[in-house]
Amino acid sequence: MSQMINAQRRHIRYGKLPHFFCPGCGDGQVLNFFLRAIDELGMNLEDMVAIGGVGCTARIPVYLNTDTLHGVHGRTLPWAMGIKLHKPEIPVVIFAGDGDAASIGGNHLIHAARRNLDVTMIVVNNLNFAMTGGQVAPTTPAKFVTMTTPYGSGEPPFDICEVALAAGATHVSRSTTSRGPQTIKAIKKGLQHRGFSLVEIISQCPTHFGRYALGSGKPEVNIEFIDDNSVTIAEAKNMTKDELRGKFVIGEFIDEQKPVFAGSSVYEVEE
Amino acid sequence: MTADGQRQNSRVLSGVHFMLGNYATVEGALAAGCDFFAGYPITPANEISERMAERLPQVGGKFIQGEDELCSIYAIAAASLAGAKAMTATASAGYNYYQEGIEYAVAVEAPCVIVNVQRCRGENFATQADIMQMRWGAAGDHEMIVLAPSSVQELFDYTVRAFNLAEQFRNPVIVASETTIALMRERLEIPGADRIPVLNRKYTDLGPDKYKTFDAPENGVPDFSPLGKGYHGLYTINPHDIDGSIEWDPIVYEKLYKRITGKISENEHIISHTESFQLDDADIALVTYGSEVRPTLDAMELARNSGLKVGVLKLGTVWPVPETRIREVAKQMKAVITVEMSIGKYAGEVERVVAGRCVTARATKNRGIGHTAEEILEVIKGVRA
Amino acid sequence: MKTLNIGICGFGGQGVILSAVILGTTVVTKRNMYAVQTQSYGSEARGGQCQSELVISEGPINSPTADKKDILIALSQPSLERYLPTLKAGGILIVDPKTVTEIPTDVKVVQVSATDTAVNLGNRIAANMVLLGFIQAATNLFSIEELLDVVKDYVPARFIDLNLAAVHAGVELAKSYGGTF
Repeated sequence: MSQMINAQRRHIRYGKLPHFFCPGCGDGQVLNFFLRAIDELGMNLEDMVAIGGVGCTARIPVYLNTDTLHGVHGRTLPWAMGIKLHKPEIPVVIFAGDGDAASIGGNHLIHAARRNLDVTMIVVNNLNFAMTGGQVAPTTPAKFVTMTTPYGSGEPPFDICEVALAAGATHVSRSTTSRGPQTIKAIKKGLQHRGFSLVEIISQCPTHFGRYALGSGKPEVNIEFIDDNSVTIAEAKNMTKDELRGKFVIGEFIDEQKPVFAGSSVYEVEE
Repeated sequence: MTADGQRQNSRVLSGVHFMLGNYATVEGALAAGCDFFAGYPITPANEISERMAERLPQVGGKFIQGEDELCSIYAIAAASLAGAKAMTATASAGYNYYQEGIEYAVAVEAPCVIVNVQRCRGENFATQADIMQMRWGAAGDHEMIVLAPSSVQELFDYTVRAFNLAEQFRNPVIVASETTIALMRERLEIPGADRIPVLNRKYTDLGPDKYKTFDAPENGVPDFSPLGKGYHGLYTINPHDIDGSIEWDPIVYEKLYKRITGKISENEHIISHTESFQLDDADIALVTYGSEVRPTLDAMELARNSGLKVGVLKLGTVWPVPETRIREVAKQMKAVITVEMSIGKYAGEVERVVAGRCVTARATKNRGIGHTAEEILEVIKGVRA
Repeated sequence: MKTLNIGICGFGGQGVILSAVILGTTVVTKRNMYAVQTQSYGSEARGGQCQSELVISEGPINSPTADKKDILIALSQPSLERYLPTLKAGGILIVDPKTVTEIPTDVKVVQVSATDTAVNLGNRIAANMVLLGFIQAATNLFSIEELLDVVKDYVPARFIDLNLAAVHAGVELAKSYGGTF
């Protein structure tokens, strides 16, 4: 029997696979979803710059047939700003894990959202630091066990979408890896948006979050955990604050147009 | 209208000025083709950001005030990869934050210019205390090009040169400014634009199918490719092969950093720049850099007036160390004295290169103010005795 | 003239630094001379006191500051007390009798009624321009036209007339003082 070749493989840098993601990791899915979104939109990867910092998700752009910046933790948005201000016509997409986006790069996230920097930031949130071996992240749900919270996390978690919204992001949505078609649609909307778009995708990490926090390395257990705790924006409207604690609210939070960032000192400031 | 009475808004302000050092730095950058600046407020470097904010939009460039120094250093590295001639400026405490971005710019060979207006810890008094950090601050293997201007004129001239060296060698180049000269107003002559040599990076002639991002001759520099044109360059800090791929290979890694460091260390003769004053008949050489050149030249005159045969070797480039010239000078001297405004740092480099060819001594001062000529003369007399 | 070292000191807001910058700009851009201007900074500048130094020379200048000044212009009593020791033996001390009340008797003192003159012209902030006019006439380092040209570049448009009038008034004061130093 001949092996099925994924049609998206032509988008892979030098056709080089396999990727380095663990079996069952959501990053492989996100890579696939992204390429489907690119094809459906008729975008050309060769026109684009893709950016990854450090971490598992940061490896996604390493596989893409784009120009790519990679390998420094948390600085994806400053890179994007350098490129977008000098070459505004180049589409820039960022792949960041929750550590990259919300922990070490949190300050950059706030200010890129505030400025409405014209980039698409895909945040794959697997609820822990995975590449380094499963340490607590700002997104780890309270009381869960990780390698650095052996008695359960004593930190309340951080909602990346809420932070982006509060800082002024003009497009924010959240999905999960188990919702394929919805996630592809969310990525497409993020890519089409002019201005700062943040697409958060809650993802399974069976190797670390699954094993330490949920007691199982099976991907389906991790996916079920995410699904069981996911509610739509419509459902969330009828829930109390207590009921929403520990839940992932899924959907599009904002989609609006504002002037995009063109530098701190510009001759003509738009009203 | 710009500050200090200039009402022109062309890229090169040719003419004679009485200009603040920080402003001269900006004018040098613009004359060299700078079109991108990112910085974060810090004294005594603020006049650089402020003037860039005013001047860059006039010449079609982009100015950003980053949310922090990390934003600034990474924005200029990425803008450089996108084709910009990019600069940032800070002062000592801010320079600390730049190290990780410098490490990245070294690894992906992004040309950029970094101005460090050295100041005392927590205060805006004069010092040269960061001379070693500018060489060694970033993690990993690297060589650094660091220029040490001694006047407002040289802040202009050396900033032009910094851009040219950055473009030529695809490496960050540091302008080691100091409170002393940055906040000083002095005569500045800006030549006509046609008399300012400006170098630009070389872009590849190859198409995307044949081009490899980091393919370069031994100790050489790879050609650039434009972003977003199908060259699928991978600019990663991770160890990378000439095509950018990041599978670990100890031989590839060693070869990469042999070239990245070799392109500078093996070209010391092209990069390094010194000036000699009355060394021909001297038996004592004063070796110095930056603002300390100024009292050192006065000390030479005082010494000559009292019959001492003293000359000065001024180091315009502090890194790479102008070893060839220091060695030549040391051979002809009875003593070499390093003059610097710190607890004594670069003196160790000078003494390493002199390597016993003659006596060495140090004139060091770390009190937030440069030497006086008389203080240096005392050290000369001490060595003489 | 080989080099001329000038110190100006006073309170912040008296135009101490601007005066030195205007003098430096005039000799460099109009007379093709060399000049270096520095000022106190850091915590040294706190407490409202302000000091600026200007070295003027026909050739390149090495050491940017001089221990001893040929001319010291003191615009306040505390700054005079602090910086008087920097006046060279035989140097000239210039004071405004309105702002310096205890005038030393053991050095060569020139009194310039800059504040009163500026007040008569409508605004005491132009006192430093009166001093600049005085220095022009007393040193002849540059012409009055050259000075006026530079002053126009540095002062806000709405104050140009006031400042130019103050410079002229300073020149007149120098005439009554009796010509050059």
